[in-house]
Amino acid sequence: MIILVILTAAGPLAGTAAAAGGARARQAGWAGAAGAGVALAAAVCLLVAQLHRAPLRGWGGFLYLDSLSCFFLLTVASVTLLAAVGSVAYLSAEEDSGRLSRFQVRLYFIFFGLFASLMLASLETGNLGLLFVLIEASTLASAGLVGLEARSNSLEAAWKYVIITSFGVTIALAGTLFLFYSASGLHLAPDLALTWPYLFSHAHALAPQSLRLAFLLAVVGYGTKVGLAPMHTWLPDAHAEAPSPASAMLSAALLNTGMYAIIRFLAIARAGLGGSFPRGVLLAFGFASIVIGVLFMVRRGNFKRMFAYSSVEHMGIIAVALGFGGVLGLYGALLQILNHAIAKSVLFLSSGDVALRYKTREAAGVRGLLAAVPFTGGALLLASFAVLGSPPFGLFLSELTIVRAGFADANPVFPLLLLALLGIAFVAMARTTTGMVTGEASPSPSPYRGRGAAVAAVAPLAVGLAALLVLGLWIPAGLDTVIRHSMAVLS
Amino acid sequence: MQSLSATSTAGVQSLSASSAAGVLLDLAGVLILLLAFACLGSKLFNRYVAYYGAQSVVLSFAAGVAAFTFHSIELWILAVATLAIKGIGIPVAARRLLVQRLELKRDTALSTGLSTSLIAGGALTAFAYLVTKPQLLPHGVVAAAVVPLSTAVILLGGLGMVVRRHTVAQLIGWLIVENGVFLGAITLVATFPFIVEAGIFLDLVAGVLIMLVVVSGLTRRLASASAAELRELHG
Repeated sequence: MIILVILTAAGPLAGTAAAAGGARARQAGWAGAAGAGVALAAAVCLLVAQLHRAPLRGWGGFLYLDSLSCFFLLTVASVTLLAAVGSVAYLSAEEDSGRLSRFQVRLYFIFFGLFASLMLASLETGNLGLLFVLIEASTLASAGLVGLEARSNSLEAAWKYVIITSFGVTIALAGTLFLFYSASGLHLAPDLALTWPYLFSHAHALAPQSLRLAFLLAVVGYGTKVGLAPMHTWLPDAHAEAPSPASAMLSAALLNTGMYAIIRFLAIARAGLGGSFPRGVLLAFGFASIVIGVLFMVRRGNFKRMFAYSSVEHMGIIAVALGFGGVLGLYGALLQILNHAIAKSVLFLSSGDVALRYKTREAAGVRGLLAAVPFTGGALLLASFAVLGSPPFGLFLSELTIVRAGFADANPVFPLLLLALLGIAFVAMARTTTGMVTGEASPSPSPYRGRGAAVAAVAPLAVGLAALLVLGLWIPAGLDTVIRHSMAVLS
Repeated sequence: MQSLSATSTAGVQSLSASSAAGVLLDLAGVLILLLAFACLGSKLFNRYVAYYGAQSVVLSFAAGVAAFTFHSIELWILAVATLAIKGIGIPVAARRLLVQRLELKRDTALSTGLSTSLIAGGALTAFAYLVTKPQLLPHGVVAAAVVPLSTAVILLGGLGMVVRRHTVAQLIGWLIVENGVFLGAITLVATFPFIVEAGIFLDLVAGVLIMLVVVSGLTRRLASASAAELRELHG
């Protein structure tokens, strides 16, 4: 068991090691992809092994693995694999064209591996202090990815990213301290003090005022990483300026890791305070994020920026679903997390392919994708419809579940508002993406040299879309069980 | 020595507010708050760095007091690390690599006047007491006195980041926020695992290094590292 835990967290470091040893983009990339494959395999094994067992504990509370952690490990490890394969194509193309130096390429793979492995490790710990340490460390590793291209724009984005999220996560640490103060009436054994399972099982005995403050600070703090409005301001810049596979990691893995931290605090707050306070907080931040995300998606411009605002919107939807609660709300939230992660990975990876071919990130500069590069164009179109929640893809199912959860909840205004906003988002984003894929084809030479890179560019798109389609039609029994077990934490 | 010993009446191993160590910690907290105010009321980059350094030295003294009371080797290590890294290392690096190399003197990128930001700082301190004081913590424990102070320092650091738009000033603001959190963490001493404290430290050092690289890169590109000039990305 412990071996699997270590393999999951350390797998992506293979790329880091290869790059640090001086490998070029292709070798370091494939090493990283192989490592990510190992991590995903180990995560699946862990998930299956933990399916009907008590949570795994060890190392004085530093290691804690229940269904919820396994579910997030599966999500983040899948995204890491997709993005790692995409990195092979993207980075070798950038290296061949001379836009990135060999040093920058090596830095990319070093930071990419560190970033992935720190996020995976943060999902495996039960100690809330260590959770902070790992999440903050993953922020720093990914700041290197955002600023990689070292142009003034990307450095500006990296600065905004690192200062805003570091500040946010420090606020979350203050929240963790208040959670601890709320436990100061309990007789804690030293090494149990900050562990999540201990605090969760004693949630009813925590001092409510301090717990309320702790939850609020944690939502604001980790919400900065999740990109909940109004703490989202770093997000569109970082996503637009990072190399596309790194944007996929930010949007589909990092935001979810932040959400995982919020869910851990939410579980304690629900148990200790009852449902209404956490519900109000999550609905407020959730709807603010959806509104902000949708409004900024209307603007036509940089397409990676638009996808980033769509991430803000989706994180809002997930927060709203967690706020609705109940069986439907929680099931929808977790399903939405997985679906959104896969769809956003496909979307950012295909947008990376487009950016390489057309050397622009402006939507107005791209036309006729379907005619010029049918596969990438098709993947972009399908993934954007999937993200917008059209059937038959997985997000349709999860968003439907969330809206139903809203109607099952007391006030029908919220789900109606949610539906209206989803409608606006659909029009706003589909308008831009259909403009990009239709029309006269303009010449776009393939940026990839050799078959390996071309396959690496296409494979994650095909696999991701297939997974989305499957999740829209059928939820595997094992996944269903793990989601239901994860929900037990929250209800 | 009896009055210095730790009490565990509230469950958490903690100091009583009336013990000598409790009074010293309390005093250190007040000094740290005053230094945060001094930083907020200043306009010179040299002063920002100097006040931050002084604040960190007081913080390491507070950690030393806690270490002495609890006879904890791990806390002694933290106290020494705070002195070496936050009290000396970071201020020296910030002065050499940022203030002197970029020839920063007077901070002109303030969005409000100094008196306004000081008044806002006073209001935030009052707010910190309002939020954290009543019934939040068990009475008679030193944490009850230090936590409002540490919350106020966090808020003042955040205010500094909002009011000042120069990247270096924002970096110092974040470091002050971090000092505030650390002050709160000291009062939890024995129950806050050492690995976590050490990890927070490592994160801080790595964070400062990355920010130094980004700020110098930005300065080379833009000839100005004021966040007020960072206007290319918006919307």
